[in-house]
Parts: sequence; C-alpha cells; structure tokens
Amino acid sequence: MIPGAGVLLATSSPGTINGIPFLTITLAVLATSIRVLALILLSIISGWLLAYGAIKSKIFENVFISLIEIFESVPVITFFPVVLIIFVNRIGGELGVELAADFLVFTAVVWNIWMGEYQAFKTVPNEMVEVANNYDYGFLDRMSMIYIPFSIPRIAANLFPSVSDGFFYITVSEVFSIGLTTYATFGIGTEISALLAESNYYGILTAFIIMGLVIVVIILGLRSFSERAVARYTVDTDMPIMRRGKPRIRQTARLSAVASLNTLGKLAKYNRERRPQKDPEELFSTNPRNGKGNIIIGIIALAILVYIVYSAVELIMSVSASEWGYLFSKTPYLLYGLLLDYIRVLSITAVSLVLALTLGYYFATRRRVEKFGIPIIQTISAYPVPAYFPFIFLGIYPFVDSIFGPYTEESLVLLLGFLATFYYVFYGFWMGVKAMPAEYNEIMRNLDMGFFRKMRYVILPSTFPYLIAGITSTVNSAWGGLEIGEYWPNIAGGKTLQVHAGLMKTIDLATSSGNIALAAWGSFLFAMIVAVYSIIFTRKMMDLAKKKYVAEEGIYSV
Amino acid sequence: MEVVDLDFRYENGYKVFQDINLKAEKGKFVAIVGPSGVGKSTLLRLLGAFLKPEKGQVLLHGKPVLRPTPLISMVHQSIVTFPWMTAEENVALSVKTRNLPKDRVKEISSHALEMVGLQGFNDLYPKEMSGGMRQRVAVARSLAAEPKILLMDEPFAHLDELTAEGLRQDIYNILFNEDSPLETVIMVSHNLTEVIELSDTVFILNGSPATIVAKVDIDIPRPRSPRDPAFDQMLDRLYSYLTKKEVKKQ
Repeated sequence: MIPGAGVLLATSSPGTINGIPFLTITLAVLATSIRVLALILLSIISGWLLAYGAIKSKIFENVFISLIEIFESVPVITFFPVVLIIFVNRIGGELGVELAADFLVFTAVVWNIWMGEYQAFKTVPNEMVEVANNYDYGFLDRMSMIYIPFSIPRIAANLFPSVSDGFFYITVSEVFSIGLTTYATFGIGTEISALLAESNYYGILTAFIIMGLVIVVIILGLRSFSERAVARYTVDTDMPIMRRGKPRIRQTARLSAVASLNTLGKLAKYNRERRPQKDPEELFSTNPRNGKGNIIIGIIALAILVYIVYSAVELIMSVSASEWGYLFSKTPYLLYGLLLDYIRVLSITAVSLVLALTLGYYFATRRRVEKFGIPIIQTISAYPVPAYFPFIFLGIYPFVDSIFGPYTEESLVLLLGFLATFYYVFYGFWMGVKAMPAEYNEIMRNLDMGFFRKMRYVILPSTFPYLIAGITSTVNSAWGGLEIGEYWPNIAGGKTLQVHAGLMKTIDLATSSGNIALAAWGSFLFAMIVAVYSIIFTRKMMDLAKKKYVAEEGIYSV
Repeated sequence: MEVVDLDFRYENGYKVFQDINLKAEKGKFVAIVGPSGVGKSTLLRLLGAFLKPEKGQVLLHGKPVLRPTPLISMVHQSIVTFPWMTAEENVALSVKTRNLPKDRVKEISSHALEMVGLQGFNDLYPKEMSGGMRQRVAVARSLAAEPKILLMDEPFAHLDELTAEGLRQDIYNILFNEDSPLETVIMVSHNLTEVIELSDTVFILNGSPATIVAKVDIDIPRPRSPRDPAFDQMLDRLYSYLTKKEVKKQ
C-alpha cells in the first residue's frame, strides 16, 4: 500500500475544521460504503441470473460451480495482476482505476452470495416448482414469486461476511501503486492513506469514528433485514431429519437466522456439500422451454470459456522467451517464500483455533456474555484491519521490540494476519456449538462430563464441519493479511513494516516496482498451489465431515 | 424420588407449573400423562435438574437434586446417538465418566448392549441401524451410567408402531432386570395405551398453570394386553381424567 496517494484529496478541501477535513472524510466513508453495498447488490442481482442459469443447464451448472469453488478458495490478492493488466493498463484513466477498485471489492464479496443463491435455487421445494408449472409461470414470474423470495434468507446469511470482506480490502483496492505511479480512487481507504501520509492523526481518528458509526448502522440494518427475511421468507421444508417443534438449524433456511448475525456465511460451504443436489425442475423436463434455455445458456458458457482460454493464450504468447526464463529462474525463490508464508498462515490459524475453542465455547455457553460479546465482535470484525493497524503498530512497536528483538516485524505481521482472520474460525466454532442438538448438551450435563471430555467426544466432532469451514476461511483471509503486512512502506512513524522473505512480500515489491510479470507469475503459482491445497485438504476434510461428523444424524425422529 | 411444591415459569413469564407434588416409589414404573403442550417434557427436565424451578424442589433419597447427575439419566424423545461413534462407543460414553480401566469400560458397554438385545452389533454406527436399534443404544447408554432414576421422554414416539410395540414389550424387563441398579423409571407420554401397558403408577398433569390433578395406580397383571377388558376400562378412566375440565384428586 502506498500512502500519499490521496494527499491532494485530503488537503485544502472544504469543510475542514482545525485541520480535520470532516466533509471529505464523511463523503469518503459514504463513497466507500456505497461502493461496497452497490457491489453487493450487483452480486445479488447477477447471482440470481447465474443461479437460474445453473438450475436450467447442467453444463452451465458444472462450469459455474467449479469456477466458484476455485475462485472462492483463492484469496482476493490473486486477482491483483489481472486487475492491473485489464483495468489499469487497458482501460486506464479514472474509470480504469475505479473499475479496478470495484473489481477487487467485487471479488471479495461475490462468491459467498452467488453460492448462497445457487444453493437456495437448487433447494426450492418441489411443491413450489409444481405450482409454478401448474400455472405456467414464465421466467419473471418464477423469479419474482418463487426463486427470489426463497433465496432471501440465504442472501441475508451471506451479507455480513461479504460486508466485512468488502471493507477489509478497501485499503488495497482504493489506492495502489505500480512502479512510480500511484492510482487512487475516492473513498475512505484513500483518505486514510492520505491522512497517514500527512501524519494527521486527529483526522484519522475522526475517520475511524465516522466509519465506526456507518459500520454500526450497516450492521444494525443487516440484523434487521435478516430478522425480517427469516420471519417472512423462511419455508419449512421436508427434510430427512426433523426434530418436532425445533428447526434443524443447519438444514433449514433458518440457519440464516443465526448465520446472518455473524461472519459465517462461508460456512455454508459445508452445508452445500452435504445437500442432495436434486433439481426439482428435472422432474419437468418435458417443458420445451427448458431444452431451449439449456442450449442458449450452454452456448453462453462455452463462449465465455473460449474467451478465457483465448485471453490466457494471448497473454502467454505476449511474454518473451527471455522473460519466461527470468520468471522460471525466480520460481525456486517464490516457492521458498510460499513455504514461509504457509508457516505464517498455519501459525495464525493455530492461535486463532486455540482462542476460538476457548473463547468461542465460553461465549456459546454463557448467554449474557454472548448477548453483548457477539455484537461487539461483529462490529470489530467489520472494521477494516488495515485502517487501524498502523495505530496498533505505533502503539505496541517499542513493547514488541523489547520482547521479540529481531523478530519484531515478523510478530507484527502475524498479529495483523491474526486480527484480519481470527473471526472466521471463532464464529465457525461458536456457531457449531450453537447449532449442536440441544439433546447433546443435555447428555453432556447428564453425564457430568468435564471440559476436555466434552470437547473430545462431543463438541469437537459435532462442530467439525463448522471448524473446517471456519479454518478454511481463516486460512484464505490470512493470505490477505499477509499480502498487506509483509511489505507495508511508511506504515506509521516513518517506519516500513516488512518480513525478511515471503511470497506476498515479493508480489508486493514486484507490483510497486512495476514488475507486473513477476507479480503475475507469483500470483499464478500461488493460485495453483492454493487450489490444489483446497482440493486435496479442504475437500477431503469436508467429505469426512459430511460422512462422519453430521451431528443432526445423531437425532432420529419421524 | 419426590417432587415437593414445585413451581416453574418460562423466561417469557408464562407460568407452567404450580404446586406440583409427586412421589415415584422404588421399583415402580411411573408415567406422567397430560394434554399436548401442558409441559410434560418440561417437568421431566425439572426432575433431571436440567431446568431450575422457581419454587419447590426435587428430592432423591431425601436430598435435593441441584444439577444434572448420571444418577438420574435421561432418554430423549428424539433418539439421540453420536453418529461418529459405534454402538459400543456410544454406550461407553456414559461409562468413561467413571474413570474405569479401558477393559472394564468395554465390558460394561458390551453388557449394556447385551441387556438391550444388541449383542453382536457393537461395531455398527448409528446410521447403519434402524430407529428401534438406535433407541436401544440410547437406553443402553443410560443404563450403563448405572442410574437410580431413568427419565424417559416419549421414548417410542419416533418409532413405527411395530418397532415401538417390540421395544415396549422388552423395555420393562430390560429396565427392571436383576443386574440393573435402577430403582425407578419415570416416563412421559401422551400415548395412553403404552402408559397402561408399562406403568405401575400414572400421574395426570392438567390445567394452566398445570398441576397434578390425579394419581392412578394400575394393578393389571403383566404382561398386559389391550384386548383385556380391564385394560379398556383403565383407558377410559385415564381418558376421562384428561378430558375433564376440573378433576378432583383421587
């Protein structure tokens, strides 16, 4: 991140009182909030269309879901070189920079929402589809009367994590530099960078307060929306395992009621995998509209695929042989950096996990603590870490330095990664405990089990799917934290935060020095390895979770 | 077990029970019946100390029961097993709390499974079992804790009629066999036929706030058949208690 990008925005603006540009800050907060919310809205609308396409065409569904699963497991930063090449180089100008920022925020918020809508569309009860067929509803009627209302609770469930993710990436998306050129678009990320460069700490404090107020308003709005969404749009469906009188939290859309209050939309990942993906509309394949729709959507999907392959080939061909030689020679160093980064990510995840298992359990089992603690953590988690981390850095640097000496910056980078990502595994575990069948709690109490015995035999297995999904999200977000922290020039007090080596640092340095080829190659290697990791580790764990650790299967009822 | 002057209200302020008094004697199978929504399951949870009463107390051997204990074991209405554990491991869960050697835990668990007629099924996972078998595992788990009191919350409600009937026929002998330290069984049910088939004493819960409106002793010789005229008469009697608006205590 290059602060200083928005200096011109921060100085001499109207509405400045005692050196604090109130008006600019307020407008910047609003611009950023509108940017994040508008992109979420765009994700929702595009998601409806794509999800409908997916339930209508098997080909499209396979391509769509495979791509989402890959992109979802790849951190936002992987898209950075693409952004630079397409938006900054090809489009250019203010529009290019604005679109680049929008695209980065979009990639941070979109996957959860698209997947949630797809899941909702796939699980519309047969009876509803029968009604639609019975009355020969067209596309718009089906969407407005059945599919869209049915997807609302799931959208509500995914809004909170999307808002958090969107705000998190503000600082890297609104202002970035390539070589000597700094690109910035108006928003609070840029504004904070500018204020930091001016050392205008009162201005930054003001920005935090205004941003805090807006975040609280957004969270309250989301809570209210999710409550209304669940009350109005939740449908009781015929699920294989239902407890009388109590909803099966993870199996009904009522999950949204819990999920929408925290950053756990990503955990829907688990839910989706164990859902039988039976398309109710397959029952009505005699409908001639389906066949035509399939062909059209299939052609569109194929065209997109061809375009992607063509662009990739064009890009590869445009790189000279000597450039390729340079990139290959750098590969061992990049992989060494990746190894170091994996160790950092694992350390962050391990600490997050330990804290989640203790604090998460404490919260989940003490209603009063939970009542106040969870909203506070929700608000903090929606606050973008990169915005306030320079102050933490400034405040604790001497203390950390006195303890860790040469490892001070390494420790601070890990702290940044931790702050950026702890919430996912925390919420994962907390929600897993909340979703545990009430009977399990009674049995643990009945047998007078101690903490470790409860954890070993009941709680950890019960929450395993949630933990895996939480850990996966934590790992993914930790990469974002490292990307920001491993090389942060002029973070505060004239200091530069950096680690001695790491892939994220190499990518950061390559980007800021204008070496786009190296940044892109590093990102490509990173994306490939993360995708393989996702397929080998995450999916296996998810499979294990769905085969063995499904707490609801322990409750048998008719 | 004895319940003395027990009052309870939900968090929303709704008073569920007032002046509940009942005594479950040693060696007896006790049933609590009442109309739907009267609070039968809630009362069972108060007996197990899963909930705290507003007033009054639950006594076991004259001492107040203040928190859940393996001495008072609960069998749930929804059949509860842990899907990541085999039948034997599910049962062993309640034995492990006694910190016994591994061999002994295995021995007790196997014996409990044998008692409920599941010998040879030790290594099956719950999803490989029928509903009836799962409920037997849940009963075995409760029995392996060696409770004095067994609380059963509509234990046959989620079984098909044939399976339920099979388990009903076995359950009395399973619970009160000579190996079992069990003293009393307290079952909640809305199924009057199964109540008459199994119980020695029936408490009828009714009203709002609910209280015990009648106690009925059933002395029909075992095994009991619904075709027995005495069975029918008892059915009518219980039914009348449940449908009367005001009932005097017997």
